[in-house]
Amino acid sequence: MIRAQGLIKTFEGQQEAVLKGVDLSLNDGDFISLMGRSGSGKSTLLYLLSTLDRNFEGSVLYDGVSIKEMGVQEIHRLRNEQIGFVFQFHYLLSELSAIENILLPARKANLLDKKLSFARDLLEQVGLSDKADRLPHHLSGGEQQRIAIARALIMQPKYLFADEPTGNLDSKNGEIIFDLFSQFNKEYKTTIIYVTHDQQFGMKAHRRILINDGIIDKIS
Amino acid sequence: MMFLSLKHLLTRKKQSVLILLGIIIGTSAYVAISGMMLGFQTKLMDQLVNNDAHIRISAREELLTSESLDSFPEAEHVFWSLPPSGRKDSAKIQYPLGWFEKLNKDHDVIAFVPQVNINVIFNRASVTVAGRMIGADPLKQERVSNIQQYMISGAFKDIGTSGSRIILGKALMQSLGARQSETILITSGKGPSMPFKIVGVFDTGSKNIDENTVFTSLGDAQKLRGSPSEITDIAVKIEQPDLAEIKSAEWKTSSHEKIMSWQESSASILSVFKTQDIVRNSMTISIIIVAGFGIYNILSILVTQKKRDIAILRSMGFTPNDIVSLFFNQGLILGILGGVIGLGLGFIICFLMGQIEIVPGRMGSSTGRMIISYDLIIYVKAIIIALLSSLFSSIFPARAAGSLDPMDIIRSGGQ
Ligand SMILES: Nc1ncnc2c1ncn2[C@@H]1O[C@H](COP(=O)(O)OP(=O)(O)OP(=O)(O)O)[C@@H](O)[C@H]1O
Ligand SMILES: [Mg+2]
Repeated sequence: MIRAQGLIKTFEGQQEAVLKGVDLSLNDGDFISLMGRSGSGKSTLLYLLSTLDRNFEGSVLYDGVSIKEMGVQEIHRLRNEQIGFVFQFHYLLSELSAIENILLPARKANLLDKKLSFARDLLEQVGLSDKADRLPHHLSGGEQQRIAIARALIMQPKYLFADEPTGNLDSKNGEIIFDLFSQFNKEYKTTIIYVTHDQQFGMKAHRRILINDGIIDKIS
Repeated sequence: MMFLSLKHLLTRKKQSVLILLGIIIGTSAYVAISGMMLGFQTKLMDQLVNNDAHIRISAREELLTSESLDSFPEAEHVFWSLPPSGRKDSAKIQYPLGWFEKLNKDHDVIAFVPQVNINVIFNRASVTVAGRMIGADPLKQERVSNIQQYMISGAFKDIGTSGSRIILGKALMQSLGARQSETILITSGKGPSMPFKIVGVFDTGSKNIDENTVFTSLGDAQKLRGSPSEITDIAVKIEQPDLAEIKSAEWKTSSHEKIMSWQESSASILSVFKTQDIVRNSMTISIIIVAGFGIYNILSILVTQKKRDIAILRSMGFTPNDIVSLFFNQGLILGILGGVIGLGLGFIICFLMGQIEIVPGRMGSSTGRMIISYDLIIYVKAIIIALLSSLFSSIFPARAAGSLDPMDIIRSGGQ
């Protein structure tokens, strides 16, 4: 579980803080949406929670251990083994085929062989079994995002962070992505927290967090 | 990270091949040019070092002055109306026995040979040629220089210890129009001409020896010179030819004679070698620098193009070090591959150059082919240069990539 306490984030050279004291707990198996106006600090909060940004006041604890106290190796192992990311722009590596992209985190963990069949399962689940060897620019945006999700899940992480994963997709593709999210949340007990502007998608979460001008407005 | 590095290289084939070509050309040029120059230098150096003595001790030629005759008791009463001048007639080593003893005791000295060197005039029928006669004991002479290996007919020891027999350079033989076993007349310019029988011919490939030098026995040379028991030179061979200069300097401090190491007598050729080395090295270095800049530029551009990839890799748990190796490996692969192919190509070029026919006996071997050095050190140096330059030019972009903050990249949308 992740506990965030008194998170304050101020960007260098700026007077006003972007996050003004956020307290939050993510329990294992949670399925949470993060909503709010543009500029309210959603992405900023997500980066803090997901260890990408460790330059803030307050604390983020993974199972009681502060991410600020972790060394370079430790933080990268945590990211590799326990965290999956999905960004708005599906950052696939253009040199690698779909399945090679999915297997990248496994390659880092030296689990390439062990994860191969799981990678094929994931491809099946995201509906792209027949496109395993395609390079990213021969895939549609929606397909690329599904590959990115499969990649985020290859290590069966405890946590999945997604920042507007459907921001660039049409509603049909968006639907597919969120169905995958709830499916993985059920099947693998993955804790999922995602940012979205779409009310309808936001409602699919079990818990909804509304953020307004750097503080949590409402949790429901 | 090797997998990804290779993927990067293979995706940009044209760039990679271009850089590879740069390294290959640099490396093979170094190998080929070094092989040729060093082959030539080794051959020439071998001649310089071994054709003559490592150190030559020779009589100092003194000019006569009014003080020259002061040792005579009558000298103080002499009043010169025209003081003596010119070269002292009989240049000779003053205390040869002292030298022999000194050289015998010196552990660095392998062998030495007392010689008489005289300027002579050769006569055959109507042909007259000026030259030089070296009189020496053949067995001792053979231990000091490698003259025997250049004999093309007869044996060096045939000059014996007396009997007026000579061996001479091939070019001299030709200009005299003489033949083996023929007798020619030789005069030192002062005494009468004496007949000498040709018993052998040598061809060292070094023009200035082949065109004017004859060897004869020590006794016969002394007879021709009209000064029995005097010697003009001592040729010395020492254990480490490289140290000849130091040794000669040491001897100079305690001697009146003229002492020259082989380095001093071939200083002008050695300085040509130095110039060759400078040309060879600077040419290679410039080629390699160009290739190095190529790697640097391409990797720097690649790092900027791949910022998104760097951010995503870091978010997946790849460490800054992994990112450094992702780019560094590419330089390493290009360096190793280009270096190894360059060595092979350089070797092939050397082999082909070794097939080229040239005038025998000049800079080539006796078979008339160009001498090429295949010294391991050339290949080691070449691969080190190739590796160092590619590593050096990839480490900076690679480290820049490793120190990028993924957060900055993601916030700016991966641009
Ligand atoms: N690198 C930065 N330097 C300075 N200010 C920044 C930086 N990144 C973000 N901000 C500011 O922090 C605030 C919150 O940004 P954040 O990206 O978290 O908003 P958001 O809620 O994700 O908005 P959106 O819905 O548009 O993505 C904004 O006002 C933004 O201008
Ligand atoms: Mg945002």
